[in-house]
Amino acid sequence: MKKRLYGSLALTLAAAMALSACGNNGNNGADASAGTSSKTATSSKATKLVFWTFNELHQKFFESMAVSWNKANPNEQIKLEATTFPYDDAHNKLLVSLQSGKGGPDLADIEISKIGNYLKGEPQLAPLNDIVEPEKDNLVMSRLDNYAKDGQYYGIDYHVGAQVIYYNKEILDQAGVNPDDIVTWDDYEKAGKQVLEKTGKPMTTVETGDQWTFWPMVVQHGSDFLDKSGNVTLNSAENVEALAYLQKLVKEKVAVLAPGGIHHAEEYYGFMNKGGAASVWMPMWYMGRFTDYMQDLKGKMIIKPMPVFKQGEMRSSGMGGTGTVITKQSKNQELAKKFLAYAKLSKEGNIEIWKQLGFDPIRSDVWTDPAMQEPNKYTDYFGKDIFTFLSGLKSEIAPTNIGEKTPAVSDAVKTKAMFQALSELKDPKQVLDEAAASIK
Amino acid sequence: MPAKKTSSQTFLLFALFAVLAVLALFPFYCLALASFKPSKELLRYGLNIKLQPELLSFHNYSFIFSAGAAKYMDWYKNSAIVTVVYTIGCLLLSSMVGYGLAMYRFVGRNVLFVFVLLVMMIPVEMIMLPLYKQMIAFNLIDSFGGVILPFVVSPLPIFFFRQFAAGLPRDFLDAGRIDGCTEYGIFFKIFVPLMAPAFGAMAIVQSLASWNSFVWPLIVLNSGDKLTLPIGLASLVTPYGNNYDILIAGSVLAIVPIMLVFIFFQRFFVSGLTVGGVKG
Amino acid sequence: MKSNWLYSQRIAPYVFVLPFVLSLAVFFLYPMASTLLMSFQEVLPGQTHFIGWGNYKSMAHDDSFYAALWNSTRYTLWTLVVLIPLPLVLAALLNSARMKWSSFFRSALFVPTLTSVVVAGIVFRLVFGSLDDSVMNQIRHLFGLQTINWMGSSATGMFVLVVLATWRFVGINIVYFLSALQTIPGELYESAEIDGANTWHKFKSITLPLLKPVAIYVITISIYGGYSMFTESFMLWNGNRSPNDIGLTMIGLLYRNGVEQNNLGLGSAIGVALLGTMMVLNLVALQFFGLFKKEE
Repeated sequence: MKKRLYGSLALTLAAAMALSACGNNGNNGADASAGTSSKTATSSKATKLVFWTFNELHQKFFESMAVSWNKANPNEQIKLEATTFPYDDAHNKLLVSLQSGKGGPDLADIEISKIGNYLKGEPQLAPLNDIVEPEKDNLVMSRLDNYAKDGQYYGIDYHVGAQVIYYNKEILDQAGVNPDDIVTWDDYEKAGKQVLEKTGKPMTTVETGDQWTFWPMVVQHGSDFLDKSGNVTLNSAENVEALAYLQKLVKEKVAVLAPGGIHHAEEYYGFMNKGGAASVWMPMWYMGRFTDYMQDLKGKMIIKPMPVFKQGEMRSSGMGGTGTVITKQSKNQELAKKFLAYAKLSKEGNIEIWKQLGFDPIRSDVWTDPAMQEPNKYTDYFGKDIFTFLSGLKSEIAPTNIGEKTPAVSDAVKTKAMFQALSELKDPKQVLDEAAASIK
Repeated sequence: MPAKKTSSQTFLLFALFAVLAVLALFPFYCLALASFKPSKELLRYGLNIKLQPELLSFHNYSFIFSAGAAKYMDWYKNSAIVTVVYTIGCLLLSSMVGYGLAMYRFVGRNVLFVFVLLVMMIPVEMIMLPLYKQMIAFNLIDSFGGVILPFVVSPLPIFFFRQFAAGLPRDFLDAGRIDGCTEYGIFFKIFVPLMAPAFGAMAIVQSLASWNSFVWPLIVLNSGDKLTLPIGLASLVTPYGNNYDILIAGSVLAIVPIMLVFIFFQRFFVSGLTVGGVKG
Repeated sequence: MKSNWLYSQRIAPYVFVLPFVLSLAVFFLYPMASTLLMSFQEVLPGQTHFIGWGNYKSMAHDDSFYAALWNSTRYTLWTLVVLIPLPLVLAALLNSARMKWSSFFRSALFVPTLTSVVVAGIVFRLVFGSLDDSVMNQIRHLFGLQTINWMGSSATGMFVLVVLATWRFVGINIVYFLSALQTIPGELYESAEIDGANTWHKFKSITLPLLKPVAIYVITISIYGGYSMFTESFMLWNGNRSPNDIGLTMIGLLYRNGVEQNNLGLGSAIGVALLGTMMVLNLVALQFFGLFKKEE
């Protein structure tokens, strides 16, 4: 019996060892696509770079860029091992490995609302100034400031995330509203009343569980949730004014609360797809949601600049985003930087970002490139002049302030301020004062 | 007993469970139905539970088995390996500990039991960072060993086996000793068969837990070809849109292995199978 | 034999519990100590330092801590009230010889735990949607009631959480009870029948007492499961962000502070508080059930 007992213990241990030995057993033959580590076929001299992301499309993009990099740089071959993890957890995993100083990747994606966590204390990321600075004039620099601390740039975004408004032309036509006449938020409210009266439909939907309705409005109104030095300005006069305006739209039934609470809810897609509201304002990257989940609106949606509170204010802002960073742990920082610059700062890289990912790339000089007019699923849905339109807004993209308190302030906006002001219809000033006070 | 009353009771019982089964299976029905439709239909008009035969096809499934979704098969295989090894190890080791705690009075028993409860209740989120550092020290990062070893002696089944064994007659212990069995012989030859229903329950529950485990494997595993199924499926949901093609059909197929485990092990619960042994 | 002592009745119990002692020593002592230490620190990359009781103080001054504690406590109570008696009765019924298709129904009730959390979340959010045409609002209309925003208020939000938990875990608790029912000798029921006991009497005087050890187990893991609940809240609100924190749980709070806002010190303090709460409640319950008595 003793033998049997020991035998089984030994068996378990042996099994465990065999499993940890599996660690070296790669899956080289398979047609590896997103989610599976891809090992781009290369010579034995190639330098291994590990990349973690939370979006398989980002993985595919980097893999394709690695292939063309290797063609162009036969002396500096890269073996890119990219892996896609679930969204929240990709960030946790990166944090854990950076905190413990070991086990992290060379390159990683960090979503903009999470970047504050990585800039706390001494950032465990490599500064990217030497690759960013030569390209400064061609880039929408406000997008790089989001990933900066003390003058050091730590991340490069995929897109500008220009804020726009999507109108349902069919509904506007029924109501006799011309979207080009809508310049200010007052015009928007008037048009909204007309739409409501003629069609019985609300002009728009507002989020009670997220920040994409409120944030662009306040940024374009010259305010923000944080100031440049990272102090909370959530309850500024401009913010109160914007929230009061939203509350008025809700009270007048010009706006309804987004079904499901957010513009990414399954319930919401169905509602909009059936022509539930005449417009919605979201960033450019929301185009993908239309093409994928609201295909009945194909050809009916048009993209326009955001209304303003007073003439002369900016008509767009850079919303959301994901920065690619290089870790301090990386043993090949120089090569990783060169490759990152090639993938996300070069002209060809930025054109690929539009073609493969459907994002408005951060190099504004490519927006006018003929390649941006080539047909794809977005031009099929919204028409081919997307970037002609965007070029007109180039100088009106208001920057956002991102800081260490961004995760906390977003949380207060998502869980408290929006719901209390728009669903419970509490006093906007009181709501924002309380939300601001709750942030430590 | 009057036959009429029995049959009407049987019918009521049947009807009650039929309703419960419908409620329990409804989300799965939605899932299974959606898996046979083009993925974009899922959200087109809100919750769509109409059959729509004209839309049904095996396309999503044939996609999963195609080279384009090779990763799905990797996830499946990895989850299967981890689950099998974990469950066997866990049942063996945890049943020993649980039995030891139930059957013997020894110094430190209560303290040890409090530690079992303590380890059971530690939120993984809380010890993630220090445990990760240990995995680096043991060179277990990015290996299935790192996924399995810290949790293979699992407090929850230890507690269950302890409680189950506590409900068994202690006479067997004395009888075994009189028959000349060693202490370990009593466990393996007498109590393991008596605890068959407990092993059945724990085989189901622990293989399920391992099949679904998410937080810790995600921290330990780095390479895409080592990820497990729940991690892979969750990575298809992103702030920039979801890959429903693989997600929906993949979630349906993910049910199969543990369902088979359930169907196999539930025979241990069929009335009368083990009662004879307990009668003594 | 030179190591005959290994077989002695004094040593054998220690051999049986050895795997746990090893696992505890190798994998859990350091993380537990380290977490306790972190709860007294401000943890910043490269700049970690002690701040005494600072984390516990800021936890105690945070309204969301009390919201989370209250939500988790309510949820735990509801799951105790629903998720123990219901599966117990269902298991007893499924175990009865009169039950037709017993095996099918056991499997059907087990399927929810296997259904993908992501997909079940989508279905539940749509069933409890805020629009007029969501399934649950349609049902309200049948009774002449108004459309409501199920996920928008504390009471209905908790109701949906408990429904979701019941849906997911009834099958598992049935498994526990079914396995325990197999240890009850059939002739106990037979002799009770001869004495003229009806079904209820048999259930009360035979089934319940003999299920006690496993019932204690289910109660303990329900207290633990209730206070550790996070997934269900995350599923229903499509993230860790319910309006006015009506779905915020203790683990949700730990996750928000420790992970989402990368304040590991505060996260550890919340974790220690949560662990303390669960341990005290469970030890009191187990003491009440007499689990630590010399002879149980």
